[in-house]
Order: sequence, then C-alpha cells, then structure tokens
Amino acid sequence: MSATATQPDLSYLLRKLHSFTGLLPVGAFLAEHFWSNSAALVSAEKYNATSQELQTIPFRLIVEWGGIFLPLLFHGGYGIYIWLRGKSNVSAYPWVGNWLYLTQRYMGIIAFAYIGWHLYTERWLTHGRSRYANVAEDMQNPWYLVFFIVGVLASSFHLGVGIWNFLCKWGLAATVKAQQAAGRFGAFVGVAFSVVGILIILSFRFDWHPFSAYLPTK
Amino acid sequence: MSETKQVIVKVKRQAGPKEVARWEEFSLRWRPSMNVIICLRDIAENPVTRDGKKTTPISYDSNCLEEICGSCAMLINGRARMACSALVDQLEQPIRIEAMSKFPLVRDLIVDRQFMFESLKRVKAWIPIDGTYNLGEGPRVSPEIQGKGYPLSNCITCGNCLEVCPQVNENNQFVGAAIISQVRLFNMHPTGAMNKSERLSALMGPGGIQECANAQNCVHACPKGIPLTESIAEVNRDAWKQALLGWLVG
Repeated sequence: MSATATQPDLSYLLRKLHSFTGLLPVGAFLAEHFWSNSAALVSAEKYNATSQELQTIPFRLIVEWGGIFLPLLFHGGYGIYIWLRGKSNVSAYPWVGNWLYLTQRYMGIIAFAYIGWHLYTERWLTHGRSRYANVAEDMQNPWYLVFFIVGVLASSFHLGVGIWNFLCKWGLAATVKAQQAAGRFGAFVGVAFSVVGILIILSFRFDWHPFSAYLPTK
Repeated sequence: MSETKQVIVKVKRQAGPKEVARWEEFSLRWRPSMNVIICLRDIAENPVTRDGKKTTPISYDSNCLEEICGSCAMLINGRARMACSALVDQLEQPIRIEAMSKFPLVRDLIVDRQFMFESLKRVKAWIPIDGTYNLGEGPRVSPEIQGKGYPLSNCITCGNCLEVCPQVNENNQFVGAAIISQVRLFNMHPTGAMNKSERLSALMGPGGIQECANAQNCVHACPKGIPLTESIAEVNRDAWKQALLGWLVG
C-alpha cells in the first residue's frame, strides 16, 4: 500500500468486479432463470414455449457466454481465491456475521458445483434444447432431486447473503440501522428464492401445475 | 474456616519469536475486583508456578489500566480483549492468557503492533496543520461533524479488530478496521478533507479496504464501541466513487 499511488490496485478492481458480478449479471440471471422456469407451474406447454423462446433469442451464444457463463466463472473462481486468503475463526468468535462469512463460502462452492453439473445435464446434454419431459424425467431420479434441492437452497442463500454484503460493502447501507434493514431484505430474497425454486422442482417431480387455472378453458 | 479462594491462571510463555512456546500454570490468591493485569502483577511479585517451580516474571504490555492506552490487548480464554478490563470474577477458570496471534511476537504476551502504526502513516491519519509557514485558521468544524468524529477519535490502536478479523492473516496485508475508521475520521474533518483522495488511494492499494469481507467481528470486539462497520461502509462508498467514477466526472 502506498500513499502516492493514484490508481487503485488490481486487487481492488477485481474485488469490486467480483462483488458486482455476483449481483449483476449472476444474481439477476438467477432471478430470470427462476422466473422462466416457473412457467412449469402453469403448464408443461407453457414451459416448453418459454424454453423455446429463450433458445431462439438473437445473439444467443454471445448472451450466454458474455452474460452468464463467463461472469459466473469469474465470480466463482475469484470467490474461491478470496476464500483461500481468509481464515475463518467462528469457534473463537461465534457471532452471526462471522457465521454468515463462513456459510457464505460453503454455500458458494456448493452452488458453484451444482451449477456446473446443472449446466452439464440440462444445457450441454440437451444441446440447449431443454424440454419439460427431459427435466421431469431427471426429477424422478432421487439423487437428481436431492441435488436440485440442495443447489436451489445454496444458490438462494448465497444470493441473499450476497445482497446484504453488497449493500454494506458498497456503502449503500452504511448505518447500523440501514445494515440491519439490508440484512432483512437479503433474508427475504433468500427465503423467497428458496420457496419459488422448491415449488418449481415439485412441479416437475409431481407433474403439478398449481396455476393451470390461468389457462383459457378449451 | 473458609480456605483462601484461589485463582487459577494459565499463561502461554515464549522467550522470543523463535523460541518454543510453553504453558505455565499459576495459583493466585483471590481478591475483590481482580483483573487479569493484577494476576500478571501478582505473578511478577512471586514468580512460582502452581506446582512450586520457580520461573521468571511474565513479560506483558500495560499502562493506563482503564482501557484508554490500548497496550494490554491479549487473548483471554481464547478471545481478544483488553486485560485491564477483563475481570477475574467474570472469567471461566483456569483463565488462559496468551499473546495476540496476528502480530509478530516479541516475548510472552508482548507483540509488535508496528504494522498498525505504519498503516496509519500510509493513509496519512492526521490533519496537516502548519508547514514551513503559518497556514492560518482552519475552517470551523460543525457540531454535527464533531459529534460523528468523537466516537471515532476514541480508537486506541489496540489491535483487537485486526486480531478477530478472518481476513487479517499471513496471506494478505489487510490494514484492518481501525485504520479504515481513522481515514473516515480525518476525511470528515474540513481541514483533513484536503488529503481525502490521497487517503482513499492508499486504502485502495494492496491490503486495502477491498480485503474486508463483512464478517463484522471488528465491531463486536472493539473495546471502545466504535461503529467500525459504519466507518468501513462509508469509506468504501467514497473509495469506489473516487476509483470508478473519478475518471468520468472528476
């Protein structure tokens, strides 16, 4: 650290980029992903139509790589690097923030591993043409089901805590009161994403479409 | 017929940075309002271990005995705190006393906190007053700034916030919460604000504010109740504005 340096250190910029990519585009993509997949809660046909719509967006490869895969790889990769540089000490200091610090890292690595597997099975093996029937079939495998649930919970937790961290670390929630409010907001997001994610999984597993009444009667 | 009450204390001894560490156990006569520094003094008066072996007095730092000098921070029952305000009656026995782990050890309980003082110099944690000539009166400080600054000025550079921080370790050179909070203090002062961008630049160097990962242990461990997490958030906001928007809007 030097007082005469005027340009921020590379580690500063990478940290900021890591923090920012967690929210945008990675967090935003998770929201979009849950939104699109919740089409299954209406009907299998709506899911297939939504899926087809996404499969045929213009510049698809650029959007996928630039907006999803690369930011995700950077966020996960640099996140592991950050993890390795920290030394958790919850046994000596078992405070809530310290527990969140530790769990955020474990949930991050679980989510990262899950997303890798999820991309392989639902994106790679389907050649990017996921259909309701494929996913519903995968969900019949109890191991797949468990891993889906774990992945959804880990990702939702990581996003919720991440939002809290983001608001604190960018100084958008600076006072103690604001940081507590940011914490409640992050918890709300985490719980909301978990619930919606689990509902989508149940929809595929049990061919359950609670919003099918929205469809016009034939 | 009450037998005199005893206090059992275990101290981690180490003759020098490269010597082997060992634990010594002492049995001391209990007295009302006893604190950990009194225990260490009692041992110095009669340096005999619990099993009757003669030993040397324990080396430790302490001065004010009222939590304002910052010199007696150590690990007491595994937690970083000031020894002078650690009351024996509130501690589980045997009381384990050891040196802080994040600073180079000098001897027994003494550590070298030079890293913190060097960090304070790097971020120019002072307000420049007269140079080679009289600079005249500075701007007035509003009561609001005074009110915000006073709690920050209570920092005693004890090092507890660094000791409890999971991000402060041998893998990086993170300056820690105390130094970031001092940057906030001097940046909010109207005269100190003249060096604001220099301080922020220094904090965006290696080991700077970016190493904070929001575990928020610092604010719990601070013996002075300084709003460290608020300081970090505010300085963070100033820093990214300068770094990421500075080249756009000046």
